Amino acid sequence: VAPSAQALEPLLARTALGDRAAFRELYQATASKLFGVALRILRREDWAEEVLQECYVSFWRHARDYNAGRAAPMTWMTSIVRNRCLDWLRRPNPEPLDDEALQEIESDNPGPLAELEKGRDTAALARCLRGLEAKQRQAIALAFFDGLSHAELAQHLREPLGTVKTWVRRGLLRLRSCLEPAAKELP
Amino acid sequence: LNCRGKPELRERLAAEYVLGTLRGRARARLQRWLRDDAELAREVARWEARLAPMAGAVAPVSPSARVWQQIENRLGSPKKTFSLWKALGLMASGAAAALVAVALLLPLLQPGSAAYIAVLSDPKTNQPVLVATADAKGTVLRVNTLNPAIHVADRSLELWALPRGGQPRSLGLVSREERGTLKLAAAADKSLSDVPALAISLEPRGGSPTGQPTGPVLYTGPCVKYW
Repeated sequence: VAPSAQALEPLLARTALGDRAAFRELYQATASKLFGVALRILRREDWAEEVLQECYVSFWRHARDYNAGRAAPMTWMTSIVRNRCLDWLRRPNPEPLDDEALQEIESDNPGPLAELEKGRDTAALARCLRGLEAKQRQAIALAFFDGLSHAELAQHLREPLGTVKTWVRRGLLRLRSCLEPAAKELP
Repeated sequence: LNCRGKPELRERLAAEYVLGTLRGRARARLQRWLRDDAELAREVARWEARLAPMAGAVAPVSPSARVWQQIENRLGSPKKTFSLWKALGLMASGAAAALVAVALLLPLLQPGSAAYIAVLSDPKTNQPVLVATADAKGTVLRVNTLNPAIHVADRSLELWALPRGGQPRSLGLVSREERGTLKLAAAADKSLSDVPALAISLEPRGGSPTGQPTGPVLYTGPCVKYW
């Protein structure tokens, strides 16, 4: 289960004030989760380590920009790590995602939803993910967990690009309206 | 080319950016827009709040110990880093109370602007009892009482600036409210720049009749500039 916001907020606050001991605690509480996220997207330990280092240096320097009113600590940190990973994949010739690599990615593994169901804050998300059509859920999970692009999704799922894009788009909209039933639908 | 005025497209791009399927030039272009399109940035933040918790389902993997070592190396020597935490002497005090102090303190600090901060503690317990902050160019001293039990019936608590090599200067009476404000005689950069410490004395109701502390000094603490 992910570390709680209540546990991380004071650590981030102290990190923002230059407290090394708090920063170390923050690292110990979050690094294995974030390393797992990075490793799954980058698929290479050395790259995931490099990204993790860059991100923690960035947390240290930008902890003051963290706004508890705007995002939970783990959301803030996870987003920074995922963005860094996705930017890394944009570098010229990252790990080639050939057919073999695509086969290795567990195709119908949206991540253990059971894990999300345990968390008080993530139970609704798990329920909404379960509520998606299987293909939408699979496409979203492969994109989120494994960092697949639309083209890679199409290749992996052996479907036309347009079809896959539609699954992703509809899945995301459905997820949003499930998470926020009151949110007004865009035209 | 941009996506202003196209809410449906903006939402789709923000969602796909966060999910990670937006790649290459499209991703770089969205990142450029994000720099000066605050509403688009909020849309991205909303999608991050929705999707990031999915990461809770990813199996944790412990990184090698060298990762932390390299992070530490990249932060540079800790001695060079000004630690407000240490400057305020909170290291030695009770962790829980110190956390309360910092939790109160942080929202008051505007990133990029300098501020003065004083944390006054009870010398007997080493627990912080009161935090005072002021923006460097402001004349308002915000006073947060952490421990309401410091107040004494029928007496007043008076807050003093203790200037380097000078007489204590009254800053006013500590409000019985949890959060109060006091007016500084001049901008904090003038009135607090040469004040390494603040103190609280117990005074007759209404404050010291002499302009100098007359009762016992109950609480003191360092006052530092932070930016």
